[in-house]
Amino acid sequence: MAEMAAQPSPSAAVQAEDEAFYHESGINAAWTGSRLAIGGLAFLFGCFAFAYFYLRSLNSAGRWQGSGFVQPAVWLGTTIMVLALLSASVNWYGLQRIKAGRKSIWQIAGLFALAMGLAAVALQIWQLTTLPFPPGSSGYSSVFTGFYPVFLTLQLAVLIWLEILLARSRFIPAMSFVEQPPTVTETQSVQRFQASLSSFTTVWSFMALIAFSFWFLFYAL
Amino acid sequence: MSSAEIPLPAGRHAAEREQRRIWWLVAVWLLLSLAACLVIWFVWYPHLPPGDMTTSARHQQFDIAVLAVTAAPVILGVFCYFAYVLVVFRARPGDDSDGAPIYGNAKIQAAWIIGTSMIVLWLFVFGTVELIVPAGAGAGEGASPIWKQSGAQTVAWTPGTNDILQVQVIGQQWTWSYRYPQFGGMESTVLDLPVNTPITFHVTSLDVIHSFWPYLLGVKADANPQVDNVAYTTARQTGSFIVRCNELCGIWHGAMTSNGTVMTPVAFKVWATAVQAREKANGTLAALPPYALTYDPTVIPQLGKDLVNVVGVTGAPGYFYGPGNPVTP
Amino acid sequence: MAIETQPERAEPTGRGPETAGGGERPWWQHMGAHTGLIGAVAGYFLGHWLGNFLGGDFARSSLSDENDVAIVLGYSFAVIGWLAGLGVFNDLFLLMRGKPLPEEPRFLGQEGPGLAKYFRFTLDHKVVGIQYLYGMIAYFLTGGLFAMAIRTELLSPNYHIIGPEQYLMVVGEHGTMMMMMMSSVVLGPFGQYFGPLLIGSKRVAFPRLEALGFWLTPPAYIILLSSILFGGFPTGWTGYEPLATQATTGMDAYFFAFGLMGISMILAGFNMIVTIINFRAPGMRWSRLPMFVWGQFTVSWLQVLAVPVLVGACYMGLTDRTFQTAFFTNQLGGSSFLYQNLFWFFGHPEVYILALPGFGIVTEIISTFCRKPLFGYKVQVAGLLGVATLSFFVWQHHLFDSGINPDMRPLFMLTTELISIPTGFIYLVAMGTFWKARIRFTIPMLFALAFYFNFLIGGISGVFLSDVPADTTEHGSFFVMAHFHYTIMGGLIFAFFGGLYYWLPKMFGIKLNETLGKIHFWTMFLFFNTTFLPLFALGMLGMPRRVFTYARNLETLNDWVSISAFCLGASMLIFLFNFVMSMAFWRQREVGNPWRSRSLEWQLSTPPPAENFRRVPVILAGPYDYGVKDALPVADLDPPPGVIGSAYAPATRGPVTREVED
Repeated sequence: MAEMAAQPSPSAAVQAEDEAFYHESGINAAWTGSRLAIGGLAFLFGCFAFAYFYLRSLNSAGRWQGSGFVQPAVWLGTTIMVLALLSASVNWYGLQRIKAGRKSIWQIAGLFALAMGLAAVALQIWQLTTLPFPPGSSGYSSVFTGFYPVFLTLQLAVLIWLEILLARSRFIPAMSFVEQPPTVTETQSVQRFQASLSSFTTVWSFMALIAFSFWFLFYAL
Repeated sequence: MSSAEIPLPAGRHAAEREQRRIWWLVAVWLLLSLAACLVIWFVWYPHLPPGDMTTSARHQQFDIAVLAVTAAPVILGVFCYFAYVLVVFRARPGDDSDGAPIYGNAKIQAAWIIGTSMIVLWLFVFGTVELIVPAGAGAGEGASPIWKQSGAQTVAWTPGTNDILQVQVIGQQWTWSYRYPQFGGMESTVLDLPVNTPITFHVTSLDVIHSFWPYLLGVKADANPQVDNVAYTTARQTGSFIVRCNELCGIWHGAMTSNGTVMTPVAFKVWATAVQAREKANGTLAALPPYALTYDPTVIPQLGKDLVNVVGVTGAPGYFYGPGNPVTP
Repeated sequence: MAIETQPERAEPTGRGPETAGGGERPWWQHMGAHTGLIGAVAGYFLGHWLGNFLGGDFARSSLSDENDVAIVLGYSFAVIGWLAGLGVFNDLFLLMRGKPLPEEPRFLGQEGPGLAKYFRFTLDHKVVGIQYLYGMIAYFLTGGLFAMAIRTELLSPNYHIIGPEQYLMVVGEHGTMMMMMMSSVVLGPFGQYFGPLLIGSKRVAFPRLEALGFWLTPPAYIILLSSILFGGFPTGWTGYEPLATQATTGMDAYFFAFGLMGISMILAGFNMIVTIINFRAPGMRWSRLPMFVWGQFTVSWLQVLAVPVLVGACYMGLTDRTFQTAFFTNQLGGSSFLYQNLFWFFGHPEVYILALPGFGIVTEIISTFCRKPLFGYKVQVAGLLGVATLSFFVWQHHLFDSGINPDMRPLFMLTTELISIPTGFIYLVAMGTFWKARIRFTIPMLFALAFYFNFLIGGISGVFLSDVPADTTEHGSFFVMAHFHYTIMGGLIFAFFGGLYYWLPKMFGIKLNETLGKIHFWTMFLFFNTTFLPLFALGMLGMPRRVFTYARNLETLNDWVSISAFCLGASMLIFLFNFVMSMAFWRQREVGNPWRSRSLEWQLSTPPPAENFRRVPVILAGPYDYGVKDALPVADLDPPPGVIGSAYAPATRGPVTREVED
């Protein structure tokens, strides 16, 4: 059924149908994409976790931690981890509120989440510059100084997503979250926002989980 | 084919012809496979690499021959089938029709899956047995080998007994050296070995990853820094061989070769004790680090007792880095 | 509630006053590769300066002007500058200000003719596919030139043309260029171009990520080549530590380029999975998906899950060389085995990333030219999924002799041998498809047949390698070299050329010259086999890899191989001549459906419309229903109104506060 000669363009209603089809696909894509991103990130962090356990069990030359090993400040590491957890929790709470129709509460929660996330990143950078050991002095130090820059870069990247959501939310009227907006464009725009926000929350919660897991590996184990 | 005076119904005619062709195909395949297997087993096997100089090499010859005999019918089968279908089912010029709409055949699929699975399982069992029986098949087994060879572990090696000869293979950029702990830890740059003696290689490296590959001995073990990699073999023929490096280790990797000879046990003992005596006399043995399974080049006991300070780099006794340096073990 | 159509939606055929896609501005005023280049150069200098500023105190670096930190930061900022100059971040900055994204030009039919769009960051997956095509051909030929240099050096064991450092540089460049870049040689050009078409979609899920995936490949290529300016890297494509930490600055280029290419693969795979899952046309059930798309789907999973481990390993290699971490230094708590495990955990899925798209393409080709349905569609899908899944569990077969835990070896021998079962399914399907077919020996079909021939030899030699005792002699020797050249070059590259001859009429409306094409095929097939078959013998006779000298008795065989390799290179030149002349000068038109294929992409115009389909198509049947009387066409390209609307949950049903699936 190859149709090649000039065809009349499809009518507007039919085009709207097609656009709506792709709008739905796009929304589902946000769900699929976030889960897939978690999978990929899991393998990336798994690479570092493998390095941790492998080097720990090998303990080559007795230098997994070595003599004279000083643990990085536990209070600082814990604060950073708690900030990441809090950020994710506050955002999750905000998501529940916006699903119930309260946009401004989410905006405040989102701002707090963004601030706490940025604070976690900043503190982590500070910790990396004030470590009590040089990067290569032991296996532990290598994995520590190797892992955290990657993790905080990814946290920053995900926080950009949050900033985008916050910026976008300024232009969506609060009423759109309570009842259906009058035009299709607006409806689609709100739905896209909601899908993106849900996906972000999933990914950010995953990042908080990773922050906790690696805190456990580096400070508690 | 019988004469076509009495025309058979077209369908049966074609089906019979096809049946006959398939039997011919199978017959050709069986014949070719049989021929190939016979050639592999009787003509090729005795000459297969890596030769029959040692027990591990002989086992590998056997291994490769069995693999080839298993693989040959598979390869020939696929090729014969392809040749058949490409000739019989090619589109005649001007024929634009479609082929028969066959979507699958459960029996054929099941047969294939079961057949290939069985071949694979056979290969796995065979491979495992061949790995275990010849004490690791000449491959490096790491520091704690599981499949060991039989023999007596002794401090001094005596020819004519079942004593295992311990040889340490040290790889460094870009040469091989060998130490014999049972001869006072003397070091040699040629790998001389006694025939009909169980040999244990302890392979290690001083810097980057190398790989110890005396091809004719059928042994291959990677040399990793600070790791002792153990491999076993027993030589069964005298002769000379070359050792090559099998893991890229820098610019002269290609030139990192070394010679070796397998000789009679008595001749070996004579050679080894002579080298040991010579190295003791000229101070080489004293200059070498004490024999150990791995070496750390940053630890140099002979560096002396005084602190040395050259261009801002301080050497502490026995170490490159001073005691205050956090890197110092 | 009455739904109003969006008031601002213009008719697609009209040109609005906004000329986002082209129009009055000359090409150099748009952001494109030229601005990217400016950004890259500026970024490099900035990064290099920053690196010297930060890390200039390391004694080694300040004395010898070999500051790895400066070089790595230079590369990083160069890439960021390149992307910024291309305009990759423009949409991101728009989003960060809360503005909606502009209407993409192609959706309004304004991409326009002309070559300029191929040098821009464009959101049309077809343009990205063509960008990949030219890129991959360039990268392949570059890698091939290095191969010619290797074989020249190996003509004699004692007369040397290049020094040992240069030889290793050439070896590393050849291997890395091929393994790094060719992972996208099929999925890039054909996957990006035809993937959405084959699933009946007008677009992909994340067009910006897809385009970004392409635009990361030129910097990866340039950075890898820049290693030559620093004396190359001595580790070969595997980058083994601790040699890689010992190496001089050329090594940074390797790790950086490989990591960059890894990110490209991850993005491409990510986009494709989401597109294939979510953007299939109505009626495109999983059981009707073309086999090429199944191949793409499984490979994309490998890319998204395995390649992050490579990025991690490359990153660790770079930190070992710059921050002085000790991941891979035994004396300081690290381990050389760590690198090997991480690298091969990626490395094995990588070779399946290379092999599986080849399976996908040849399956399409044989079905079309046998004019028969695929025999055992589900079996082939099971084969692809089986190979992809198992590929994560076999990596230690690269480490059989390395001194790892010995009890792991029977396990990995088993898993590696198990992989040959799903690989065998591919052959079952091919063999069944040929039965009672009407085979036409067109050039794509010839390449597909050669694929099956070569891959059989390559695959069986893999079984030899998986057997641990036999591997004692074969590991690290030219036997391995022959094995992977047969599977990757004999498999993937032959499939690539098959796909090229098959799909070029669809992409450009131009046919490649038939005579030259046949000459190309036969010379390539013949010389490929004469080059690589003797390598099995060379390996078994004791020649290790990556050496510039070898036993004297192997010289004749090496000379035979080298001369064959030169002839193989010449056959590539025949292809290049054919390609350039056909595309630029002869331009033999071939529009329509020359292969009379049922597949969906052939039902469209040539080249396909800007939006792929005028309407969302409704898929009615699978693409392999040849020979079936009254078979439905594969899709209804003009479904009546309301059909699409009933295919999804409409956007306007119910209150907006419905739970978006979390």
